[in-house]
Amino acid sequence: MRNALATLCLGLATLLTLAPAGQAQDGPLRIEITDGVIEPLPFAAPAFIADTPAASQYAADIARVIAADLVGSGLFREIPEVSYISGLSDFDAAVNYTDWKAINAQALIAGAVNLSGDRLTVRFRAYDVFAGQELGSGLQLSGTTDGWRRIAHKVADTIYSRLTGEGGYFDSRVVFVSETGPKDDRKKRLAIMDYDGANVQYLTNSNDIVLAPRFSPTGDRVLYTSYESGFPQIHVLDVGKVQRRVLSTNDAAMTFSPRFAPNGTTIVYSQSEGGNSDLYTMNINSGQSQRLTSAPSIETAPSFSPDGSQIVFESDRSGASQLYVMASSGGEAKRISFGQGRYGTPVWSPRGDYIAFTKQNAGRFHIGVMRTDGSEERLLTASFLDEGPTWSPNGRVIMFTRETQGAAGQARLYSVDVSGRNLKPVKTPDGASDPSWSPLQN
Amino acid sequence: MQTGTKISVAGHAFLVTWALVGGWFESDPLPFQSQEVSIISAEEFERLSAVRAAPEVAEIPVAPQVPTLAENTPRVPNRPDPVPAPAPAEPIAPPAEAEVAPEPPAPEVIPEVPATVPDAPDVPELITELPRVAEPETAQPTDRVAPEPVQPPEPDVRVDDIAQDEVAPDQGAEANQPVQEETAPEAASDRIVTEAEAEQAEPTAPLITSRPKPRPTRPVVQEAETPAPPETEAPAPQSAQVDEKPAPAPEPKPEVESSAVEDALQEALTGAGEVEAPEPSGPPMTEGERDALRLAVSQCWNVGSLSSEAMRTTVVVGLSLSRQGVPDAGSIRMLSSSGGSQGAATQAYETARRAIMRCGAKGFELPTDKYAQWRDIEMTFNPERMRIK
Repeated sequence: MRNALATLCLGLATLLTLAPAGQAQDGPLRIEITDGVIEPLPFAAPAFIADTPAASQYAADIARVIAADLVGSGLFREIPEVSYISGLSDFDAAVNYTDWKAINAQALIAGAVNLSGDRLTVRFRAYDVFAGQELGSGLQLSGTTDGWRRIAHKVADTIYSRLTGEGGYFDSRVVFVSETGPKDDRKKRLAIMDYDGANVQYLTNSNDIVLAPRFSPTGDRVLYTSYESGFPQIHVLDVGKVQRRVLSTNDAAMTFSPRFAPNGTTIVYSQSEGGNSDLYTMNINSGQSQRLTSAPSIETAPSFSPDGSQIVFESDRSGASQLYVMASSGGEAKRISFGQGRYGTPVWSPRGDYIAFTKQNAGRFHIGVMRTDGSEERLLTASFLDEGPTWSPNGRVIMFTRETQGAAGQARLYSVDVSGRNLKPVKTPDGASDPSWSPLQN
Repeated sequence: MQTGTKISVAGHAFLVTWALVGGWFESDPLPFQSQEVSIISAEEFERLSAVRAAPEVAEIPVAPQVPTLAENTPRVPNRPDPVPAPAPAEPIAPPAEAEVAPEPPAPEVIPEVPATVPDAPDVPELITELPRVAEPETAQPTDRVAPEPVQPPEPDVRVDDIAQDEVAPDQGAEANQPVQEETAPEAASDRIVTEAEAEQAEPTAPLITSRPKPRPTRPVVQEAETPAPPETEAPAPQSAQVDEKPAPAPEPKPEVESSAVEDALQEALTGAGEVEAPEPSGPPMTEGERDALRLAVSQCWNVGSLSSEAMRTTVVVGLSLSRQGVPDAGSIRMLSSSGGSQGAATQAYETARRAIMRCGAKGFELPTDKYAQWRDIEMTFNPERMRIK
């Protein structure tokens, strides 16, 4: 009996031993990481190495513009130079990753500048410090000294692309309406600048009111609305030649709110006759137009999808201004906005994934984004008056107009990341409104 | 057979049957939580406290095996001088109008920057003075989003990943005492708060500072004091890996008089007999230990600079750790990916690799007696929850 009991206990113990063995870890330890952090990625950008003494100022300036571009995106944080343990004295020397790891630099940008006559040559490399390897290959850019800022923007775009996996937006421009003077006598004229507010140049004088400039898909032309004739009419302006012409075919009709189709030859706009506004398209080469909507309501602010197959616009056909999507050839429109308040000025993202819009609700204006079917609406800003969003070339950043309250209130340009982070003003010499972001320059 | 014997036999038969097959009808165990505790003596506590308070000795950086540039850093190809762009005829000729230089001979070189900036436009005036820039009406709550919200540190506290209290030397002490600066983590919110949300919602920062737990002291493995494995007739394992592992300590013999039952239990539990013993890898990793590792990597997994597509990409990364918990850089590799293109997967993998290398630089806190359990790890980085933050 004693042996039987022992056998029984042995069996039980065997079962107990086998049970955890069956649950034991099989193979490597497996864990799943679902929570992380969202914070700017720290990088180091030592002053670029000047191959010649004459290039030293350009070397320093180019490195500063690159760092400003990356920091300004809100995705990166520059480690101050005082924290550096070692510097870079030879562009072609191997990097001592340990020194950069010690200051938590996760990316390192190294560059060298050569000046020969009026031509600048910039070489640069980007390093993944913790991986101990170079990010892509070293590149070289060349141009005249006048274009040193564009060279810097190009370098920043490349580094941005290598670190994020998506295209940059630094080598781009913005056309906008520059505003000067008091609110009751405001002078408006078209202006163009680099995306960061540098190199402001004016395209029109301030004799006539101008509104809503829109870049062409190639960035060489601008559509805008002018009151030169006394009522609004659409003009197209060649940015390089600063030559403009009226696009309206009906001198008696008011045309406004134009925007290019992705093909660059068709535009969509609003035309108002008898107090009713509808949408039209026009071939800017032939001048032939086509009516897209025919409703007693106001249809305006059209914007093409990136593939040109659809148009999003605002309409008050339901009683209040809401957003609708229809085929670019016209037809039935589908309402996509259903939240409280009024929606307007929709703009399709260059990526095609979101539509940015202006929303007015409870006495506040917002810039928001939603999916193209109206889902996932998200308000990014809130102020006395925010309006007129425009997308960066990579669809990551939105620029818009913010106007402050009161008699001394002034319109300014602001930008915000599509996530709602990194809300900040854009430097302009004067008041500014109605921004339109160009595509990346060639 | 007597009735008592019959009852006894039937009872034992039922017991044996239940023991063998009863597990098939077991219901799922009720959820429970366990908390591991360990008891240490006052002397050990003093010793641990003293170690924690002492300043960390910075590791002497190992001189990196810096590869020669020719091996690891491709040379920048020389480019021919571009054809100078013609001067623009009009007052405003933006850079876009400039002639694009020919493609470089090397495939990886991007098209040369035209960079021929046009002359200044013929405009009535060119205002170059920059106006005073207004600050945003509502500041963003924090620049950092983390799993756990963190209140902003005091102004005079240095921001650091590791929180530590200030240690000042005692007044009048004869011996030089180490001074430790107070540090605290950077302020963080648990989600992205837009300006519109910040106007409506209550502050999301916690009312009480959530300070990280002090780093536990890793138990020191003293190879020399490791007891020798018990002698056995079976041949010693030949694997070099097995040789590295400390032999399991022999079970202490019970003081009570052994019996047949106890011998049987002891024999079964020590793995002798017919049951094949598992690899001597210590007890399984507890959920708490897994969570600690998960949290350690999470704190360095920065997805803030990832593209939208990469944020939809899940990557599985394999790696090996040393006994000190330091990742072997050469072992880190992407095992698989899903949800995005190859480019997005590469970006997601590089971000995961940075997280592993950065937070594992000083070694992850893992139980050394379970080294075989965590020597090889597969980490799945799934950013799905981060997309909605």
